Amino acid sequence: MRVTFCTDLDKSVVVANCEKRGWIQVGPEDDWNIYWAGTQTCRSLFSVDSGYRMHDNQLINHFPNHYEISRKDLLVKNIKRYRRDLEKEGNMLAERGDSKYLHLDFIPVTFVLPADYNMFVEEYRKAPQSTWIMKPCGRSQGSGIFLINKLSKLKRWSRESKGPFQQQLTRESYVISKYIDNPLLIGGKKFDLRLYVLVTSFRPLKAYQFRMGFCRFCTVKYDSSVAELDNMYVHLTNVSVQKHGGEYNSLHGGKLSVQNLRLHLESTRGKQVTEKLFDQISWLIIHSLKAVAPVIATDRHCFECYGYDIIIDNKLKPWLIEVNASPSLTSTTANDRILKHKLMDNIFSIIVPPSGMPDVRWNKIPSQEALGDFQLLIDEDLIHLHEGEGSNYLKQNRWK
Amino acid sequence: MEDIKDKSIHHTAIKICEDFKTSPSYQALFQDIQKLVSTPSVKYEDFKDSLLKAMKDNGLDASLRNNVYHWMKTKKKEIGSPHDTFFRKAQIHWDKRIHKSLNSMCTELGINLAKIRTVSEREELAGKWGELSNYEVDIHKYRPVYAPKDFFEVLLNLKGPTTRNKGSPKWEFAQMPLKVKNLADLRCLYLELSRGEQILGVNSSLFSSRQYSALEAERMILGDKVLIKNYAPMAQEFLKKGCPNSLRAKIWTLILGAEVKPYHYGYFESLKDSVLQYDLMIDKLIIKDINLTASNDDQYFVFEDVLYQVLLCFSRDGEILKDLSTQPGFMQVVIKGKQSNTENNIIFPPSGVIPFHGFTMYAAPFCYLYDDPVQLYFVFRTFYIRYFHRLHRVCGNPQGVVSLCLQYEKMLQCFEPGLWHHFRKCQIHPVRVVIKWIMRAFSGHLPPEQLLNLWDLILAYDSLEIIPLLAVDILVFRKDNLLKVNTLQNIEAVLADLSSISVIPLLQMSLLKE
Repeated sequence: MRVTFCTDLDKSVVVANCEKRGWIQVGPEDDWNIYWAGTQTCRSLFSVDSGYRMHDNQLINHFPNHYEISRKDLLVKNIKRYRRDLEKEGNMLAERGDSKYLHLDFIPVTFVLPADYNMFVEEYRKAPQSTWIMKPCGRSQGSGIFLINKLSKLKRWSRESKGPFQQQLTRESYVISKYIDNPLLIGGKKFDLRLYVLVTSFRPLKAYQFRMGFCRFCTVKYDSSVAELDNMYVHLTNVSVQKHGGEYNSLHGGKLSVQNLRLHLESTRGKQVTEKLFDQISWLIIHSLKAVAPVIATDRHCFECYGYDIIIDNKLKPWLIEVNASPSLTSTTANDRILKHKLMDNIFSIIVPPSGMPDVRWNKIPSQEALGDFQLLIDEDLIHLHEGEGSNYLKQNRWK
Repeated sequence: MEDIKDKSIHHTAIKICEDFKTSPSYQALFQDIQKLVSTPSVKYEDFKDSLLKAMKDNGLDASLRNNVYHWMKTKKKEIGSPHDTFFRKAQIHWDKRIHKSLNSMCTELGINLAKIRTVSEREELAGKWGELSNYEVDIHKYRPVYAPKDFFEVLLNLKGPTTRNKGSPKWEFAQMPLKVKNLADLRCLYLELSRGEQILGVNSSLFSSRQYSALEAERMILGDKVLIKNYAPMAQEFLKKGCPNSLRAKIWTLILGAEVKPYHYGYFESLKDSVLQYDLMIDKLIIKDINLTASNDDQYFVFEDVLYQVLLCFSRDGEILKDLSTQPGFMQVVIKGKQSNTENNIIFPPSGVIPFHGFTMYAAPFCYLYDDPVQLYFVFRTFYIRYFHRLHRVCGNPQGVVSLCLQYEKMLQCFEPGLWHHFRKCQIHPVRVVIKWIMRAFSGHLPPEQLLNLWDLILAYDSLEIIPLLAVDILVFRKDNLLKVNTLQNIEAVLADLSSISVIPLLQMSLLKE
């Protein structure tokens, strides 16, 4: 019985990794064992009307309602709800200090518009000089994003768009977040981190963090002055934006490996603060997943690889910007291709049981070798099996 | 015998005192000592002992010792060999060729070697000083003066000072009458590696993460103690067994004696002023090289702007020319539009160093360790004067590139004759395959973390001999694939990606006594 695979995207990193395992490519109508699908396909496959039932030897690369984590407004809503629930139960995790959450303060202050407009204005008035960033909830690649530093600018934007304020925003909702105007700079340029996280189950939570990731640098020096507020080359790190800048270099693509970032920080800032930074990054990933776990539809056929976008500020604090459910598998440089190839290779090793045939019935506990360059982030199964052992990162009261 | 030894120590001590009187670092120390003398802890009645004790308590004792230590490192006489004149002549000849090439490039491009910048040019440069990668200058017509492969041809054509025997092939370095260390000697030098001691390198799969963390923690505690003691020779000993990333910057600074004091900032400013004032043609070569190397390198592109500052200032630094033991030949040029006199004749470039293709990579790795460009500059400068300059000059010194190539050749021939013969059959000179690695000390070829481990060893053992050893080790490691190909291009392809090389374990494997 040969394993079959199907893919919506003609990406060499996917096809090459499947073919090197001797898997046979088939169409979506055929009997596939692994489907690397686009989100549209998933939506239709999972919809009630389709009547499609997956059998025990089928795995697909999205959860039915992954938008709970990948839509900016839903992610924020889920995290806020998670924190409130922990607070209600009196859990130490949700401890507050100075009106901020002490341990779960990893998203910038965010409001959904138009629903939270009034709450936003109240918050805005507390610090009228600050900058805010407007992002459409359902778009990607930096599209539709802009910065404002005056309430009047927001009102003007809503007037300028077709239709009255309320109507415009219900067609496409936005989130507005406090802009992180003190990002950590290297060589005077702003960057963000792209990290990959594989989730093979939400309840119990099983998540793995890929050791290799990269920083995406802006091609222009960071300038927080008002004059440059509209210059997307200064503020937005998306490759899709920076690619069109005059300074873009396709040999390195503006990407620096996370290992090199870590080396630089350790060498110039010290081991402790660097370790704390990376621990906090893993911490925020775990809690963002725990926040959405209650609402994600558990389906044993599903796994998902998320692209986490994180910004580090100049106090070495990480901030979660967003989570992508379909991180780009296109390679912009040679090293990029190697990284994404390894990523896909390891993903397949983890999700396929030792027998070699995808099977939803196995215990989903991969061996150390199968992990490859992934690191176990959290496996709630293992915590239940061996109290205290098994998970490296679930140390809830790690730092106070 | 004892008597003679005492006399020579005595003479050295006098020499040191004389030199110290003129060195700025010692003068700063002397001022600190003077301040100390005026405190109540130093008593007139018991001047010598109370002063010594007070110095120990204040760390000035360590500073003084460090000053002596650094003097020893920089001023010790060059080990002369009987064939020094031969090598000197060859270097002068090569220098003349380089100067000729520079002159013809200038004529071809219709520019002057040196001229004064106009006020607007100066202002533009000053304004862009923080982001020189955006400084508009047309460099596409400029080419590097020479590349490692050109220098290699020069080395190859060195006709030995002793008569060559007719039977030996024309292109072996063995014709060089230089004494180099063999593997047994290297095992004696790199004692900690050959004894199989635990060296802290980059965490590879050899250690479990728990073992590695324990070793790292141990080294951190020891390293902190060494830094508090602030005594350079101790730091050098410490470095032999590897350094945690977070301590490396301080340890290197201590060993090299490159701590920056306030007067260093002033000195760097004066170098910057020189860059702003004079437009030297070499600037375009420097900019071109950064563009060809660091700007395109995904490990170093973020540090582009600092590299411009450091390398441009480097070219203006006359102290480099003074301190270089290989006494480079230098050009004297007249500033455009001026009359030739002492004021308008400048040494071109003031540092005496004409960069070759890849020169930027000597400085690039330091960007990982130092955020402050001035601190970076002085550490890089000291490292260059102590080690790197020997990698691109013809000399008979055992640390020079000629000796290193000979050492590599001998080891390869001895331990991997199969590969040796394979290269010869394919008409490829074995040194040609690794000359870039040797001349660049592996910078730009090994990933930064591994490279820093290698440079730790250079500094710790005060020797570049680890470089040819690593070159041989890598070739032996990739032997099977190398034997399958037979053109230089394909060989270079096999050796292009060194990202999987673990420097410390690889070196230990070859140095461990059987």
